[in-house]
Amino acid sequence: MINSVRNTVLSVINKNNYGYISPADFNLFAKQAQLDIFEDYFYKINNQINKENARMSGTGLADVTKQLEEVVSSFSTSAELSNLSDNSYFVPSDCYYLNVLQYNPTGVEIERIEESKIRNLTASTLMAPTTAFPLYVYRAISASAIILGATSASSVDVYPTTITGASDVSAFYIRYPKDPKWTFQTLANGEPIFNQTAADYQDFELPLSDEPSLVVKILQYAGLSIREGDVVNFGNTEEQQENIAEK
Amino acid sequence: MAYLTQYQYYANSGASPEDVNWGSYQYTSLSDIVNNFMLIYAGNNELVNNINRYQVLFHAKRAIQELNYDAFKEVKALELSVDSQLRFVLPSDYVNWVRISMYKDGVIFPLTENIQLNSAAAYLQDQSGRILFDETGNILQPQFSNLDWARITGQQKSIYLNENNPMFDGQAGWNFEGSWYFEYGIGARYGLNTETANANPTFRIDKKAGVINFSSGMDNQLCLLEYVSDGMESGDISAISVNKMFEDYVYAYIRYAILSAKLGVQEYIVNRSRKEKTALLRNAKIRMSNIHPGRLLMSLRGQDKWLK
Repeated sequence: MINSVRNTVLSVINKNNYGYISPADFNLFAKQAQLDIFEDYFYKINNQINKENARMSGTGLADVTKQLEEVVSSFSTSAELSNLSDNSYFVPSDCYYLNVLQYNPTGVEIERIEESKIRNLTASTLMAPTTAFPLYVYRAISASAIILGATSASSVDVYPTTITGASDVSAFYIRYPKDPKWTFQTLANGEPIFNQTAADYQDFELPLSDEPSLVVKILQYAGLSIREGDVVNFGNTEEQQENIAEK
Repeated sequence: MAYLTQYQYYANSGASPEDVNWGSYQYTSLSDIVNNFMLIYAGNNELVNNINRYQVLFHAKRAIQELNYDAFKEVKALELSVDSQLRFVLPSDYVNWVRISMYKDGVIFPLTENIQLNSAAAYLQDQSGRILFDETGNILQPQFSNLDWARITGQQKSIYLNENNPMFDGQAGWNFEGSWYFEYGIGARYGLNTETANANPTFRIDKKAGVINFSSGMDNQLCLLEYVSDGMESGDISAISVNKMFEDYVYAYIRYAILSAKLGVQEYIVNRSRKEKTALLRNAKIRMSNIHPGRLLMSLRGQDKWLK
């Protein structure tokens, strides 16, 4: 899909033969565009649920939530978390949204809790965390831990603090999409030609139906880059129309 | 949780203790309640949304506590020997008492709660009545107050009928082959205060001190305490459960508790959940009262009995 997107983008901006963007620039814009659209999915799901609750959504082929969730689910992955120290565990560095944390010995879900609540909860008789109802707090890793080689910027502290085992905690999370990379071979005349077999090649991870949105998004960035107002306006108008159609 | 096999139920799969699963089918565990509620009643398209599991856990436990106080009718019993200080330390899961009895010679004697004070704290005082303190400023206290000491040593006078004076003391009688026989009292005892007409030892519960204080008649006697707990099983979550007849009520209670405290929920929804909760509690109580012909028959058999 990435080559098709690039060709479309180039075709649109190549007005008067000065609208060329380099592969490096395209890759940067492509990454931003993909992240933007990826994040939009979560808001779309929320809007769709609001519609469902207002009885403005259908089932079967009209079940838009299902379609949106399928896309997000394609980024769902799991990993056993490595222990940082005591009851702290590393969060995977590609984690966008920590969906479920699991206490492996019993398979129960570890519930996320805000920092401001955990002290009250651990002091509570009725709600103190137990291995049957464990809790976790999401925290940033200290600078000293990063210096010591921590690969992740975040960690989770699991309660009760007796949960310390190396393989006690697993995460089921939504990862970030991988950075798209349009790879190429340089021909003798300096023209880059698409090379899908390169080791670092990475296509977009969004579904094919998002190709128009990707083109529009990249055009916005590219238009700004080459200071072509028409391209930016075209991108903005297309995006607005798409948003209206989806509502 | 999956259903138990017959082998797991009757023999705990050969593990010890064998009886751990007996009767367990009557109950639903707390974990099941919370899990089911989160699954069925909470979510994006449900009345209850954006709720944390710990909140559901809190309300589930509160519901179970409330049910344990009266509706469950699950009375625990503990037998202990009353010590020389005439005390019975309340069990660790004690919330309220149902009945206190003396077990003696194979007979259970229900005891009466003493309406008079039988225990008090005391401060040491000098001859001019000034309270005495130690070097850290704490009040000095004797081991026993005079009231306690009198009770422990059997010197406290009782207002209870014949409690300290067995009813035949001083009465003329006949000793025949080692047993005493007395004349049968004829006629009514006018002016008898029925509230204190009990010759068994008496007790009074000191809630703050966590003990039951008895009159001297209970010295070294066996005491049976029937009491209710709050069902929290000393914090052992795996042991907390609720009778299945109350399962639906617990869900309704949690739903009501959450909706009534949540911002922006329409009052008619709160009211609907309140009514649902109340109706389910009533239904469950009727079911638990277990009225069936066999039981009624036994009581009704006495209806034509002549009172003498």
